Amino acid sequence: MVEMVFAVLIIAFIFTLFIKNNRVASIISLVVSLFPLAAFLDWGREFGINLISIGFENTMNINMAGITLHFSISPLAWFFGIMLFSLIPPILLYSYSFFSKNDGFYPFMILLMVSVMGILLSSDFLSFFLFWELMALGIFIMICRNGDRKAMVRYLSYSVLSGVLILAGIALLYHMNGTLLFAEIMLKADFETMVAITMLIIGFAIKAALMPLHTWVPPVYSTSDEPFVAFLSGGLSKIGYYGMLLLLFAMPGARVMEAYINSSIATYLLAIIGSLTAFFATFLAIFEDDLRKLLAYSSIAQLGYIAVGIGTGSSIAMAGALFQAFNHAFFKATLFLAAGSVAYRTGKWKISELGGVAYKMPLTFMAALFAIFALAAIPITSGFAAKWLLYEAAIERRYVFIAPIMLIAGVGAFLYSFRILYGVFLGENRYPDIKEAPKPMVAGMFLLVMPLIIFLIFPGYMLDMMDSFLSSAGLATISHSPYVIHTTLGNYNTIAVIVGMMFAMIPAFLIYVLRKQHLVDFEDNFIGGEIPSLYEHISMHAAHNFYKPLKDVVMPYLEGGATSIYSSLYKVVEKIADGARKIYDGVVQDYAIYVMLFLLIIAGWLLW
Amino acid sequence: MVTVVSGLINVLIIAIYATVAMMIGILFMGIGRKIVARVHNRVGPPIYQGFIDIAKLILKKTNITHGWIYDLALLFSITGIVLTILFLPIGGVKLLSTEGDAFLVLYLLAIPALGFALGAGASGNPNSAIGVMRALVMMLSYELPFVISMVALMIYYDTTSIAEIVASQYGKWAILIPPFAISAAVADMALQGMLMEAPFDIPIAPHEIASGPMAEFGGKHLGSLMIYKAGTIVAYTTLFVDLFLGGGVVMKGGIVADVVNFIVWFILIFLVFTLSLLINTSFPRFRIEQAFKFYWKYEAVLAIIALVWVYWMVIS
Repeated sequence: MVEMVFAVLIIAFIFTLFIKNNRVASIISLVVSLFPLAAFLDWGREFGINLISIGFENTMNINMAGITLHFSISPLAWFFGIMLFSLIPPILLYSYSFFSKNDGFYPFMILLMVSVMGILLSSDFLSFFLFWELMALGIFIMICRNGDRKAMVRYLSYSVLSGVLILAGIALLYHMNGTLLFAEIMLKADFETMVAITMLIIGFAIKAALMPLHTWVPPVYSTSDEPFVAFLSGGLSKIGYYGMLLLLFAMPGARVMEAYINSSIATYLLAIIGSLTAFFATFLAIFEDDLRKLLAYSSIAQLGYIAVGIGTGSSIAMAGALFQAFNHAFFKATLFLAAGSVAYRTGKWKISELGGVAYKMPLTFMAALFAIFALAAIPITSGFAAKWLLYEAAIERRYVFIAPIMLIAGVGAFLYSFRILYGVFLGENRYPDIKEAPKPMVAGMFLLVMPLIIFLIFPGYMLDMMDSFLSSAGLATISHSPYVIHTTLGNYNTIAVIVGMMFAMIPAFLIYVLRKQHLVDFEDNFIGGEIPSLYEHISMHAAHNFYKPLKDVVMPYLEGGATSIYSSLYKVVEKIADGARKIYDGVVQDYAIYVMLFLLIIAGWLLW
Repeated sequence: MVTVVSGLINVLIIAIYATVAMMIGILFMGIGRKIVARVHNRVGPPIYQGFIDIAKLILKKTNITHGWIYDLALLFSITGIVLTILFLPIGGVKLLSTEGDAFLVLYLLAIPALGFALGAGASGNPNSAIGVMRALVMMLSYELPFVISMVALMIYYDTTSIAEIVASQYGKWAILIPPFAISAAVADMALQGMLMEAPFDIPIAPHEIASGPMAEFGGKHLGSLMIYKAGTIVAYTTLFVDLFLGGGVVMKGGIVADVVNFIVWFILIFLVFTLSLLINTSFPRFRIEQAFKFYWKYEAVLAIIALVWVYWMVIS
């Protein structure tokens, strides 16, 4: 039945290529996107989670030209499949109103679905790599649709680097094992395997945008279409982490790996890079004025937490990393879609030019507000449970460097969250004439918020979903009930938080209803005795250069950053190339000497 | 039946503790004004002035609002601060603190702050936005030394639960262990920022930005923010006392012990609060970047020294 899902997707891909009408294409791809979701929901029974029962087969082998591609479902792939494929239908629903005509968005969205499905189901490195490159190609075409040169060049160069590294790593592993099947590759604790794994991990880290390999992300996220960026940031960036987890925890011999790695600094290094990514990207996000770039840096930061979890490698950390990946998929997709809705109505991306959108677009604001609560890990969303698990893991392992860095990055998230809330949605009512976003867009955003609410109340269900992966990776499962998580260090009881909150709300609510209140105009406020409506030139919106005092202190230390590393690397390469160029000095006698030297060397080599 | 009754008794105890804690907070506001007045060589208002102010504001007949987001400030601020107090052990009584831990408390404290910030943003006053910006930068500043100190405590006692940390300190307060004396000093200065007392009263600076976030609040909204302020006094001082001064636990078992512990807890948070007031009255206001540098340069270095010391103690 895997074949059927693939076939449906490929037929839909070809079909939507020829449909010009946006709504028809949207509905077709929306229906088609439910197939892989249904398949993944159905496969849950393999891992003790019965959601729906259709009876899909879950293995497939394709023979072509003497090579067999193997496909089957694993617990890890299942978790990522559920996450990615439940992300797609709301995004396609949103696109129903977002685009005016179908100019290639839907077919390549379906192509990306095919590639993701292939990557997740592949059980040998060949099919993994084929679909990996298909995904890279699909993303590139999506970026090309908007034709920003910087974004295209950056993405293409990073993508090629990632592909080459992954291919080299796979080749090395094949050379040592003589097989490409995941099930037969035994990772050994020797130098060659470590080189192969390092190359693979760097290749995956490019897709996952770990610093300093992140510089393709801001230009790409800030120039592509929002529905695609929502899927790229929310979904596809996790595929890099899927690769890492596959390599480090899901393969036979992973125990050997772990024994080798725990004693070395290798994964500790990954955790440190992850925490530093979270820290620096947060600071870059705080000072960003372009809403999309802010969200891009915020994505990089939030993805850094996942690397911390993988690097820490204990079962709590792994649960935290997967939980964080899941949450990030949904809240960041919601935020990108909300940004898209705001731009759809106002046409502006700069935070300093926006303001007061919430008064006219309350539903978009509510979806964005909830996503921001999740982003900032406020305990009234599921965002907190994930971060909490990661903090617990860091304390459990006594990672005294990583824990404070992560906590401070978490506080930094409040800063840029408020920047979005105030700069875009609150403050001066600058757009009194706009309307709420179209209904399908609002519905898409609210569908994306739903999982955050479900796993707020029942974080245990999320842990149920990863139990079979944790036990297959040889890690202890975490003791939990649907609403309580226990670790060796502490508990988190969501029912206590929610019930406590209801009780705590009683006095607040009583005060709220105690006396009548009447609504006043926005201009009815106190600006040192001035009447704002009399002075057109007075800006009532303090969103420009919002964190200036902090920026003045911090920016000198952040200036350049990763870009300066690359430009100095570029200068070194240029110097070497320039030196090499000097060989061609245009003097014919010199060339004659080169030829003679070359012949002498050849002759010497032959004689010797 | 028995479990239902004991459950209800537990709920009642928790409700009483939360209410008393909020009352103590309001009382402390009055006491604080009295102390500041005496330092200034004034008579000062009566110590129950806080109750009078809040009652007057809440019972005001005319209330204005700037829309539903503005009202979130009222709802979130009181809800969030009461919820936070529920998760802190008070005088050895655990309340709900076994159901969450120190990280939960840190993030619960963000709920009222975020609600307050939302309301201030929705009021549309630029001064409010600047005030919130300052408050958030202050938060980023003081959290670094504070979380480093907290991480030191957590790895020393090998738990993240505040209730466990309090229980482990029975007989020997953390502050008596040399590295934690440094941590406590650092955390006390962080507390100064958390309570927005001088020299870190930057967010509400009345002379510069018209009281900042509160500029547009009046009537019951302002009253609820005063309740929030009262709550923060209790929440933050209790957090400090729980982390470094053993939560005021001097006796174990029985109702007598609870009463004694409660009194000790009260005295301790009063001392911590008074110390912060005395610092408040002796300093002018920092600029925001000075505050940031103070916390991230000097405080953070001290906190890291304590952390390394503790780490070395734990490892060896």
